[in-house]
Parts: sequence; structure tokens; C-alpha cells
Amino acid sequence: MDATLHADVASIASQVRSARSRGATLRIVSGGHWLDAGHPCAAAERLELDGLHGIVSYEPGDLTLTARTATTLAEIERVTASEGQWLPLDAYGMSSGTLGATVATASAGPLAAAFGTPRDHVLGCEFVSGTGDVVRAGGRVVKNVAGFDLVRLVTGAWGTLGALTELTVRLRARAEEDVTLAVIPGGASVTGAAELAWRWSRECEHEPFAAELVSPSLARRLTGLSDSPDARLLVRLGGNTSFVRAAMIGVAALGDAQLVAPGVWGELAVAEPAGAVVFRVSALPAHIGTLFERASALAEGLGGYAHATLARGVVRCVLPAPADSESLTRLRVDLSQLAVGVTIVGERMPPSLWSSVSRPRASDALAERVRSAFDPDHIMNPGILGGAWLTASA
Amino acid sequence: MPLNTGLAAQLASVVGAQRVLLRPAELRSYESDGLAGYQRKPALAVFPGTRDETIAVVRALARTGTAFVARGAGTGLSGGALADDVVLLGLHRLKRIVSIDSDNARAIVEPGVVNATLTAAAAAYGLHYAPDPSSQSACTIGGNVAENAGGPHCLKYGVTLNHVLALTVLLPSGEVVTLGNAEGEADGYDLLGAFVGSEGCFGVVLDATVRLERNPVSVRTLLADFSSIDAAAHAVSAIIASGIVAAAMEMMDNAVIQVVEASIYASGYPTDAAAILLIELDGATAGLDDDVARVAAFCAGAGARGVRVATDPADRARLWQGRKKAFGAMGRISSHLVVQDAVVPRTKLPAVLAEIHRISAFHRVKVCNVFHAGDGNLHPNIGYDANSADESARVHAAMTEIMQVCIDAGGTITGEHGVGLDKLPYMEALFTPGTLGAMCALRDAFDPERRANPGKVVPVRSCREWHAAPSARPSRP
Repeated sequence: MDATLHADVASIASQVRSARSRGATLRIVSGGHWLDAGHPCAAAERLELDGLHGIVSYEPGDLTLTARTATTLAEIERVTASEGQWLPLDAYGMSSGTLGATVATASAGPLAAAFGTPRDHVLGCEFVSGTGDVVRAGGRVVKNVAGFDLVRLVTGAWGTLGALTELTVRLRARAEEDVTLAVIPGGASVTGAAELAWRWSRECEHEPFAAELVSPSLARRLTGLSDSPDARLLVRLGGNTSFVRAAMIGVAALGDAQLVAPGVWGELAVAEPAGAVVFRVSALPAHIGTLFERASALAEGLGGYAHATLARGVVRCVLPAPADSESLTRLRVDLSQLAVGVTIVGERMPPSLWSSVSRPRASDALAERVRSAFDPDHIMNPGILGGAWLTASA
Repeated sequence: MPLNTGLAAQLASVVGAQRVLLRPAELRSYESDGLAGYQRKPALAVFPGTRDETIAVVRALARTGTAFVARGAGTGLSGGALADDVVLLGLHRLKRIVSIDSDNARAIVEPGVVNATLTAAAAAYGLHYAPDPSSQSACTIGGNVAENAGGPHCLKYGVTLNHVLALTVLLPSGEVVTLGNAEGEADGYDLLGAFVGSEGCFGVVLDATVRLERNPVSVRTLLADFSSIDAAAHAVSAIIASGIVAAAMEMMDNAVIQVVEASIYASGYPTDAAAILLIELDGATAGLDDDVARVAAFCAGAGARGVRVATDPADRARLWQGRKKAFGAMGRISSHLVVQDAVVPRTKLPAVLAEIHRISAFHRVKVCNVFHAGDGNLHPNIGYDANSADESARVHAAMTEIMQVCIDAGGTITGEHGVGLDKLPYMEALFTPGTLGAMCALRDAFDPERRANPGKVVPVRSCREWHAAPSARPSRP
């Protein structure tokens, strides 16, 4: 593959226009962390975004930051921490992951329970469409309805509408206190625990930053959690001192609770082994108890683990490599029958498995027209969305 | 539009003859929306009463290649729901709350459900619908979705977009599609995100699945009284920078205070204050009063003459009444009102407000500021008499300069009212031709024939091969 290190957006636009005129296709690459995720993408050339690095502007008083696409989440964390602020976006994977890739894939972690997904953080962006046009959408203000919302459209589009080159995100001030507790809900079985945890998250007065239920074998991988065969609920509480004190008492009422080091979230983000199969199962939040119980049992039965973001109704399943296609296909069928309207989304998988396990979603003429409006020749990351769905829904 | 007389008969056969309006006298109520400075005459108005009737109407319009404008309650403030010699499709009769699912904190509603009606229905479950535009007692969820409506409490809870989980949409072609995912994670393109705020240009909402918020356990409303707008603006910046997330943070200047206090909506605001801030903090009881004390200290530090804290619901409701009814109160003193809706970075509030003051003095117009200070979402409003050519010209000149100041400060031209007709002239100052072209391309994906709300949002000349629509004629209030 040919690769050019681009220093500015004009240079990227030029490569896109050139590729289009030559009938070539492009694989967009910034941090490179998604290259081994196995998503099918047949492209002749690479469009390297790594050269677009660094923070363009940061206004602490406005709680907004503009950065070039390949700026890492770690760098944003470092720069904003010096002002007592943060971008509460904790996508899975290494913190060397880039802002652009996180937004392009709409990746979200446990903090999404309270702060939302990238779709809720991005205020504006610049991208180069598949026609080589430079588009600047949204802005640097926290509320904006000027024109059609291209920002939301390209967030999570996996580069297929254009290559993101710059992003403006909304920041938050760090909380006065930010503590994490691990609790065994009710001290009960996994079934009761998941249901109990969900009820608690639905009704608790002190809304947590994150409430992530982790299956027993994942709990065993995390530092500081006492060894036990139970699922754990990791609860992150942030706010002023009085709030956090009261919230901790509320969590302790849920079951045996212990304070754990905040590093547990970083461990959770990078827990999966290389080459693992990762997919997410989701349904209405009220089904999360059943969904987590079954998904967790199935994943653990295959040597893997599961964890659930309660408020979002999303269970993330991780299976160690090598997983074979028959057991995965069976798993997909089992999971899709867990509740009405289950959605299963593939995240990572060896390339050989995508073709046997993925079931393309029914053709969507509107999405196809949108794609063609921005990338008429389908040169940007061709095929990458086709593999993103294990199944549309049950 | 040379109205196809066969079309009126076709539509009448779907909705009944009494639900198709043709005569100018009957159509007069539909010539304006909340911005009375604009008037456009619809060719015809049709009011379906059910989902099936709506589908049949839009399919009839598609078969005949007829352009149309969807309209909810007509409370919009950008001229967006005006039909200029095309069909006006009124959706206010589709007002069924299909279901409220308290376990999952969501509701499914038809587009004509009034915003406040949904909150009233959710109250039984301890829930509410958070986006609260000032017109919430009249405006509809369908209109809120079209405009991506905001409101004071969007500071903490987010705008309409953050509360819509899925939509059933009738495309202008008559095809019915589902956007978003009402049950699990939404994957694929965020077409829901693109649709919300598309101002009726992408299609018609048949039903919306929206997220409801739990009612806060405790609420405190603060009224801070300032002897200068600048001091109030600095208090806002200090509170934002502190990281305390207020549920709402609203500013009203002396002109607005005077108007409100002289009206039936009098709320006990100090009439000698140059500006007041109405700040609401809500959430768990623990820690709330610590935040109240810090906010009060920031106000005092910026020069507040006094800060009053209301906890009693009746007292709080009274404080809010004046804010919510400020537009109505202003309507009493001027025959016409220009309502602006710019957003600036919050650190720029003091400087921009000072500029607005300078510009209004220069053009001898009276600006009233009542706005969502916490979001930096300004509403500089000017009351005037549209029958005076001189005054209208000065108002227009002042507004154009004010908008440019906001753009130059790194802001935008609309935070929650939409572009519609009113902000069209500013779109090219804000966006590059490439960006406007991308917006046109997106619109074409939803409405290739360009029949839904023609001539709104994106200036006609920005779109390749766009044939001039009647309602896109350059216009002035």
C-alpha cells in the first residue's frame, strides 16, 4: 500500500481527489488500532491521518477544545487535566487511541452511562468527503442548529462519508471527588445481582458517573477486587464531598462494597487479549438483567467474559482467540433470542470470522443514498460497514 | 402554485372536505408562525387526523409532484413553517401519546402531542420530558424534533436531539422508514441525528420514541440581582468555569424586567436591576446546598447586589413565570418583534453583550435581552413597528451587525430556533460553499425531488442545480 504522511487538510483532500480520479479506494488510518479489528475493508491505498496531530485551541473557560484528528485521547487527558477538566470519553483500547478514530467509530465506554457517547461530545468537525471537498460542520459553541447536522452524521460513520481531520469537543470540569466502589449486589447469584443492580441504577438518588457490571472472570483480572465467584458492580461516583459521601452510603446499601483504585477503569479498557472476539449485545435497559446473566454465562463458558453498562442496556462480550465460527454462530442465535429486539454489533474479530459469522443487515436504501451523497464512488473505507453487524436484530 | 384542483379533491377524499382549507380567509391563520414579521400564503392547507391519513396525504402529494410544508403548532421563531404558495400539512391533530414505559423511562408519541402535555402525562411516573422551550404549553413534539428545540433546562439535560431515541419517518416520497433504535444500541449512520433539526426538509415524523428524565429529588432556584449586565455576564462565566452544572442559567436585562413586571406575568423581579440571573440547581439533596452556596458566592464575587434562593415550588414557579412568558409580555408593547437566537462561546458573553449595547444605541433601536446565558445562547430581541420603513431599516441594520459580531466571536447564528427563512441570509457568512453543498447533498438523499419545505435552511444558490423555490426569495422582516 502506498502511504503519504499528510501535514494538512489540503494535502488529504488532494489524495482523495487523486484516488477518485484514478478509481482507487482508500483505507483511512490514524492510530492504527482498528486495523487489527478485522473489519472487512478492501482498499488499494492508505489515507494516513497521523500527520494531523495536536491541539488547535483550548479554551478552559468555555470548556471546549479543538484538536486535529490524530491527537491521542491521552494527550487530551494530559492537557485538560492541568486545568482541572476532562473529556469524559473512555473508549475501550489503549489511551494512545486517537480522537478521530474514537469519533469515527462512535466508541464509548462505561462513562457513556452519565456523559453519553461521542455523538454527545462532538460540537464541530472538519472532514474531507469522498469527493475531496473540505466540509466544516457544527462549530465551537455548545448549542447549534445552524443548518443540517453533518456532525452527528459523520460520527460513527467509520470514515465512509469522509475522513475526519479536526474535531471540537465539549469538556467537563473534573469533580471535586471521584471515587470507585466495587460491590457484590445483594451478595446473590449473578441473576439476582444483575436485576438488583439495574433496579438500583434506575432508582438511586445519586446518579453515578458509571455503573458497570462485570462478570466473575473479568473481576478476577482486575486489581484490588477480592477473589470471589460473583459478578461485581463497579460504581464510579463523582461530585462534591457531600454528594459523594451520601452516594457511597447508597451504594453500600446494595451489598458488600469496597473502595478500589481508579486505575481499575483503565484496566477494564485494555483487559481483552490480542485477537479476541468482541461484540456488543443490547436491548431495552429493563432487559439488562436477563441479557447480562445469559451473555455472561455463555461468554464465560467459552473462556471469555462480559460486562454491562446498565443505564445503556449494553452488554459487551469478549471471547479469547481462537473462537471458532460454529460456536460463535450458535452464540449469536442464543443471544438474539434473549429478549425482544436484541441488537448485536460486532466490534473485533479475526477477518476469517467476519464472513462466516456476520449477517449483513437488510439493504437500506436511504443509508445508501446518504453514502453516495458524500462518497459517490464508494472509495472511502469500502466494505467496512458491511462487516460491522453480526446481525441487525433478532 | 398553479393548484391542481384534482389534488384538493383527492386530499378531501382522504381527510374529509372540512379538513382541507382553500379559501384565503380560512388560510389567514396559517400565514405566519411565531415571527409575525413574515407572512406567506399557503396554496392549500390539509389536516390529517391519523397516521394512515398522513401517509395517504403525503403519497398523494408525491404522486402529483406537489411541494409541501409540515407544521405543528406554528410557534416556531424562524419562519420555518410558512408555506409560500405550496401545500401546508398541519399535523397537530396527531396528538396521541401511544405509550409511556416507566421502567425504561421512554414514551412513544405522535408528532402533534404538545410538549407540556407529555410532561404532564409522565408526571404520574415521576418522570418528565426535559426539553422545555418557552412555547412548551403550545408547541408540539413533531415541531420540536424538526427544530431540535432547546429551552432553559437544556443546559444540564441536553436539547431535543439528546432525548430522541427513534423516529418513524414518512419521507417526502411516501416511503416509511425507521431511524435510530428504540430498543438497543443504534448502529450504522446516525440518520436520526441528521433528521432531528432538519426543519421539515427531510420528511414528516409519524411517531417519536423519546427519553424521559426522572424528576429531580431537590430543586433550588436562585435569583441574582446585578447593577450591570457586564457583572452578570462575568458571574455566568465564573460559574461555567467552576464546573458546577446548573440545570438552567437564564439572564434578563432591565428592559425585559420592566416589561415583565408591568405585565400580568409579574414575578417580583427587582425593577431597578440592570440584569438578573435566574439559576436553577437540581439533583440529589446531598451536596446541592454546597453548590448553591458556591454559585451565590460567584454571583457576589462578580458584584451581585443580592441573591435570593427559592425552594418552595410555588415561589420557584413564580420566578420562572416571568422568564417563560417574557416573549408574550414583549408582544404587548410592540406590534412586531425580531427575535434573535445567536450562540457565542461563554467566555465571550461580556464582550458580545457590550457590543450589542453599542450597536443598538448607534441604530437607535431598543434591544431586550432574555436568554440562556449558561449555553451562551443569546436572544437579543427588538420590538418595532413594521409599518415604519425607517424603523424597520434601522432594526434590520442593527440585527445584521449583531449577528456578525456573534459570528466573529466564534459563535453561530441559531442555537435552537432554526434557520427557516429568517437566518437564511447569514448561512453564507457562517459556512463555506463546500459545507453548504454537503448539506444540500444530504437533503437530496432524504428528498431527491426537493418538495419538503422548499427554499428553507440552505440558500438556494448554494445547491447545485437547485431551481429557485418561491419561498426562497430574499426576504426581510
